Amino acid sequence: MKIEVKKNIMATNSSVAAGNRQRLAEHGVCMLNLMASPGAGKTSVIMKAIEGTRDRLKLAVIEGDIASEIDSLAIEAMDIPAIQINTGGSCHLTAAMVSTALDHLDLDSLDLIIIENVGNLVCPAEFDLGESTRMVIASVAEGHDKPYKYPMIFREVDAILVNKIDLLAHCDFDLAQFHQVVQGLNPAAPVIELSCRDSYGTDEWCQWLEATAIGSRLDLTS
Amino acid sequence: MHEYAITESILEIIQTEATRAGAIHVDEVTVVIGELTSFVDDSIRFYFDELAQGTVAEGASLKFQKLEARATCNSCGADFRPRNAFFSCPECRSAVFELRQGQELFIESIDVSQAEPTDIREN
Repeated sequence: MKIEVKKNIMATNSSVAAGNRQRLAEHGVCMLNLMASPGAGKTSVIMKAIEGTRDRLKLAVIEGDIASEIDSLAIEAMDIPAIQINTGGSCHLTAAMVSTALDHLDLDSLDLIIIENVGNLVCPAEFDLGESTRMVIASVAEGHDKPYKYPMIFREVDAILVNKIDLLAHCDFDLAQFHQVVQGLNPAAPVIELSCRDSYGTDEWCQWLEATAIGSRLDLTS
Repeated sequence: MHEYAITESILEIIQTEATRAGAIHVDEVTVVIGELTSFVDDSIRFYFDELAQGTVAEGASLKFQKLEARATCNSCGADFRPRNAFFSCPECRSAVFELRQGQELFIESIDVSQAEPTDIREN
């Protein structure tokens, strides 16, 4: 016997994500889902954001890794609340994992939560976590061809960060070509060039982040 | 690898549907995948064969239907099929468009076996 099902396979994740989004809206908290390949500099970029905005924004970080607490310990050492999620092999965070992490944060005391997703350019793009903003980091050391190879994630984010820009002189990274490709994929997304080593571009990164957090709070509470 | 989580959801849905229908076995599952998603059908099949063991769907065959991408150009209104991620309208080259189809992932239907009617007379 044939049974018509017509059910969205992602429905469970989507409904938990919608719950997360609602919960954050009630508390006026912006949540940024930061995605990148392993080693692109996600944690360093977050640390720059903390240094540059901590006077004006109350932040917390959710760290997603397959194993270890290395990243959350680094964030806690800066006196910022950090919740470590170990996915135990899974290549992405899910809305349910983030929901559990939110239980451990005092949402009333926060403006912005940054989620450092598991290092991966494929799977995280498919899973809504309930975030208000999505961002991808590409790094100069990875090569300028990443958007050709992983177009979906570059298409679906609100902003693109190019990290390790200080390595341009040492790598065959064609910055003009990178800009051209991402412009074709996602014309609306700003592209921010950054170096966490010499702090080039960190002002622009922090200003964008602050504007996003405040803008999102206005949207959420309006 | 994210197909593992997807396959768990597929099993959850079909077990619920099978129970509701009073089925004793799920013989076939038809899954629709939009061509712009990054889900790999062979991966889902691999995980399904493992995860379905001991369930009502053990040994069920998985059928995949690819749904082609469709977009409408916001500038000239042309209807077109985006062939890859770097798409623009084939008529006017605009990159601003409404994606109407191609990112789906859902279970279309299941084929189930039901218990043979038994001669139970209720009093």
